[in-house]
Amino acid sequence: MSPRLRLFLFAAACLCLVPAVISVARHMPMFGDHPMPYGDAINALAPVQRHVSNMISAVNFDYRGFDTLGEEFMLLCAVTGTVVLLRGTRGEQLSARPGIVPGQPILLRSPAAVLICRIFAPAIVLFGIYVVLHAMTTPGGGFQGGVIIASGFVLLFVGEGYEVWRRMVRSPVLAACEGLGATTYALCGFASMLAGHPFLQNFLPFGTLRDVFSGGLMQIQNAGIAFAVAGGFGTVLLEFLEETRAIKPDDAGPGDGT
Amino acid sequence: MSTLIVVLLLLTALAGAGVVIARDPRRQVLTMAANGLVLTCLFMALQAPDVAFSELAVGTAAVPLLFLVVLASIRMDRRLKPGDESDPDGAQ
Repeated sequence: MSPRLRLFLFAAACLCLVPAVISVARHMPMFGDHPMPYGDAINALAPVQRHVSNMISAVNFDYRGFDTLGEEFMLLCAVTGTVVLLRGTRGEQLSARPGIVPGQPILLRSPAAVLICRIFAPAIVLFGIYVVLHAMTTPGGGFQGGVIIASGFVLLFVGEGYEVWRRMVRSPVLAACEGLGATTYALCGFASMLAGHPFLQNFLPFGTLRDVFSGGLMQIQNAGIAFAVAGGFGTVLLEFLEETRAIKPDDAGPGDGT
Repeated sequence: MSTLIVVLLLLTALAGAGVVIARDPRRQVLTMAANGLVLTCLFMALQAPDVAFSELAVGTAAVPLLFLVVLASIRMDRRLKPGDESDPDGAQ
């Protein structure tokens, strides 16, 4: 297709679509206008019913906690699929050398970059833990905190290089975090069934409003999500970063992965 | 709609166009991270800090990093050299 014909088609499509877009835009609700009753209902009910000031956590872990269970296992499946696909063509040995790009010299890291990473890696992990712990009071929660913790690990790779990073971040630990976190969330549901309530019913004492440890069962669910997300994102990042190492004799070729 | 939100919406359009216009893959990754950062600011301005957190961590840090790693992996010489057949760990 010649560029002129393409431009002509683009102009024709614009002529057809622009009136429709303008007409739709004129009939949309005003910016910031929300006619739905649910947001206001949750804002009014959650502090009274669940003693929680972060409504998003209340919705995610309590009012629609079963949905979050499904999302949790979707993440688990996605991580498992990524690991299976990426590990197909290489072994699992820990002592590999970093790979090299042909024609590009290996430069030493500047001390400033190493220092910045050494300062910020623990700080970011700490901030992630803070976000996880304050899930019931301030914005954030297990998912956000977990991703922040996992991205803190990456600074180890940036600052210290492949070999140190590989010694410090261990795949079985991350896998255990991921699996145990997801199991914890599911077990919360069965625990409330054992206590004689419906699945995932929040049966623990709710605590006081605006307290870090308010929310009852939501605290345990939140901790489970945090472990699962930190472990899951950590595993995905680790498996991708493993692709940058030098290939080893025990690795299968690209064609004969099993 | 306040001025801040108008400015941020325009910035979002600009950053999104930047992702499309950039042709070099590494530049695309960086413009995508910039787009994530602008979106984070927009979500903050719209009073959705939870979504802003997720966007910041996933869209600005995790996904661009994965793309950069993939690009690095593609550029690497990943064939096994004849000299490495013995035991690469013994050399250390």
